[in-house]
Amino acid sequence: MKRVGMSLKWALFVWMAMVIWAAFLWVPTAGGFKGESARIVFFHVPTAWVATLAFLVSCITSVMYLFRRDQRDDSRASVSAGLGLLFAVLATVTGAIFARIMWGAYWNWDPRQTSITILLLIYAAYFALRGAVADPEKRATLAAVYSILAFVTVPFLMFIVPRVYWSLHPDVITNADPNNRLDSAHLRVLLASLVGFTGLYVWLYTIGSRIETIRRRRQQEVL
Amino acid sequence: MSDLTGIMLVTMIIWIGLFAYVYRLDRKVNRLED
Repeated sequence: MKRVGMSLKWALFVWMAMVIWAAFLWVPTAGGFKGESARIVFFHVPTAWVATLAFLVSCITSVMYLFRRDQRDDSRASVSAGLGLLFAVLATVTGAIFARIMWGAYWNWDPRQTSITILLLIYAAYFALRGAVADPEKRATLAAVYSILAFVTVPFLMFIVPRVYWSLHPDVITNADPNNRLDSAHLRVLLASLVGFTGLYVWLYTIGSRIETIRRRRQQEVL
Repeated sequence: MSDLTGIMLVTMIIWIGLFAYVYRLDRKVNRLED
């Protein structure tokens, strides 16, 4: 089993190295974008996807905690929310770089940028809440309820708001603008990147959960 | 060397550094679990 795990980690290393090479040197320049700005899509979209996935996992494990009252579920929810926040920050930064090239400014208060800022604040508040409650059971219950409520806003802020209001943000997958063209080579690299980033999330999530288990075990030993 | 090659190399170095860090952390967690 350990050998399979080791092989998967090295496969992820090679996979992502190939994605990076292909993203910059293999795919041709995309039409409708300024310069080489479209290449950031190969990192921006997967980080946004992983953030959404991580918030979903945090919500699911929070529901599991409320049903089972198992502290491991609370740890998993916390680890996944932390990773979601990290990847959401990366999506925001890569998006700002794209905005600078395309529209001349890192920040335009575009609906997409505004909604991700609200999302970052919501999940930052999740960790403020966790830090404010000392009792582990009370903290876990409050954090679980908050995580579920926080995830209710994710589809609204990530998918609905940017489509209801006029936005500069391009829809690269289902775009209606004939100028923004990503061909099959772009889509192949984008899909490969999505797979690679998802693998990286799974690996980080597993390590984070194991660290939390060790920490809890040591705390019990001390008590 | 073109700009794209340079950015690719920087991104690759970041990936190698990140992978090495996470890999070492993973091994450390393995040792702590044993």
